[in-house]
Amino acid sequence: MSDRTIDRVASATPPPVARKIRGLSDRAIAWIFVAPTIFLLLAINIFPLIWTIRLSFTNYKANRIGREVKEIGFRNYERILTDSDIWLNMQATAHFLIWTIFFQVLIGFTLAWLINKKFKGNDLWTTIIVLPMMLSPAVVGNFWKFLYQPQIGLFNYIIAFFTGKEPSSFEMLGQVNLAPWSIVIVDTWMWTPFVMLICLAGLRSIPDYIYEAAEIDRASKLRQFFTITIPMVLPFLMLAVLFRGIENFKMFDLVVQLTGGGPGSTTELTSINLKREAFEKWRTGYASAYAIILFVTVFGLASIYVKALNKVKER
Amino acid sequence: MAEVQLNGISKAFGKTQAVKDITMTIGDGDFVVLLGPTGAGKTTTLRLISGLEKLDSGSVFIGGRDVVHDTPAQRDVAMVFQQYSLYPHLTVRDNLAFPLRSPILKTPEDEITRKVQEIAEILQIPHKLDNKATALSGGEMQRVSIGRALVRNPSIYLMDEPLSSLDAKLRADLRVELKRIQADLGSTLLYVTHDQIEAMTMATHIGVLEEGQLVQYGTPKEVYENPVSVYVASRLGQPRINILPSNLFPGTHKGPQIGLRPENIQQGDGIEARVLRSEHLGDQTRLHLEVQGHPVTTLTDPHQDVGSDATIKISPQNPLYFDASGARVV
Repeated sequence: MSDRTIDRVASATPPPVARKIRGLSDRAIAWIFVAPTIFLLLAINIFPLIWTIRLSFTNYKANRIGREVKEIGFRNYERILTDSDIWLNMQATAHFLIWTIFFQVLIGFTLAWLINKKFKGNDLWTTIIVLPMMLSPAVVGNFWKFLYQPQIGLFNYIIAFFTGKEPSSFEMLGQVNLAPWSIVIVDTWMWTPFVMLICLAGLRSIPDYIYEAAEIDRASKLRQFFTITIPMVLPFLMLAVLFRGIENFKMFDLVVQLTGGGPGSTTELTSINLKREAFEKWRTGYASAYAIILFVTVFGLASIYVKALNKVKER
Repeated sequence: MAEVQLNGISKAFGKTQAVKDITMTIGDGDFVVLLGPTGAGKTTTLRLISGLEKLDSGSVFIGGRDVVHDTPAQRDVAMVFQQYSLYPHLTVRDNLAFPLRSPILKTPEDEITRKVQEIAEILQIPHKLDNKATALSGGEMQRVSIGRALVRNPSIYLMDEPLSSLDAKLRADLRVELKRIQADLGSTLLYVTHDQIEAMTMATHIGVLEEGQLVQYGTPKEVYENPVSVYVASRLGQPRINILPSNLFPGTHKGPQIGLRPENIQQGDGIEARVLRSEHLGDQTRLHLEVQGHPVTTLTDPHQDVGSDATIKISPQNPLYFDASGARVV
């Protein structure tokens, strides 16, 4: 009796159609579909990476086509890692990274927390706050150049108004001590909304009933904030930091527009420096080695960070 | 533990009147069950007492103190929510310890450990203490949720269908356990359910809600034996009370509608009833009858085999009478 039932079920199951198409197996069909993407990835991502590694061991110059290319081993790497100017670029990048992330997280989270309070018109506020993020970095750079202008700039005027100094007594973009901060301010202005949006998503993911339970369990608002809000938003916050960190490590357009790396090389971030080596001085081999060093650095830092992020998520 | 008094409490959400002028006293140490179908205002009543919702009108007294303007924390109530509401990023242990770590209580850490362990054993989850709250099954989550209320010693426990998501066996176990804990501690407990077995077995008092109003409040025996309306009568008793036109049966009647629970139906003589179906439930047999076009459900001897299409004779015995609107006629 039971055998017959099984037989009936088996014969009622239709044969897999895909297996029959022109004698191709399911696996083969899957490969055919995926192949173009894989090929494209190899061509535009993996091949250039390998080619760059190869070039980094040579003295190749891309603007001298006929010149003989010599293998020079680790000479490029040696020169970069012992160059004190490059260490200054690294420091400028670190300064930029640390402070932009610090301010963006602090202000972004605070804004998200305030917006998340249910008040009238909070959607309108969200839209207004998010606007800077939607502008082109080139436009933002140009725009802030005017704001920072010592004689007519609004920024100088406002600072002067509160401190009582002359507006033209300081130059945000022209002074060695102020220029690194000027780019931090602009990037924070532009990208804090991004951090805010991600924090807002985190805050909105916390259901109301958890706060209700905490209310019943007699947790004060402060305790609710530290034992519920912060731990539950933390994975989102860390993700925002990861995105901003990677983005700002390769920051180029905004800073080039604002200071062009100056004054001197105080705001010359590694990415700007790299572009100069590669496409102004045409030291292709040297720039390749530089790019590989940066790549390994970012990749290493990001891997450690993602591991930490996963640990927080599991917790 | 304390007495809780509700004086004419009302609450509307937009146009929906969720709770309408409820007045009741939950005595110190009572186990009160609020019974009613979905949307009757059971949960809203709990939330009004806890302070999670603001009253539109009326007042709430806990232990003789007017708490209308108090926060949930100040009211000192413990609540079990229907949808678990555990802290997902904390372990079971930390979830259970959360209320005890409130700075108001200042419980020493070894005392917390002891209490958490004790509650975990009662709820049969000591092996899960170090799991994350999200790594539990639905039944386990609900037990943690109950445990989080039980670790405290509040003025009243409020429970919103705490057993509804558990499987039958666990539900039966916890029902007994909950009743025992309540009796041992002498706690005041207000329990919301639509399950009449929970209501009958655990309650010292049952309040029946209908569309936001408290229609009857009394001991389970009172509510079962003397229901004020058809609505209340159909809340309790398995199988349900049969409501029929009185004139089906010969004789004089006190009202136009007659209510017959299985124990009010005498088999053997009277009017004819056709057997549509009989269900054997092991310890009892249910008979689905048809009396002049009206369905009637009753019980019979489990060992008696009544075939379909057989005809038996039934007559009412000490029935309940109701008027045309459904109100009880005594």
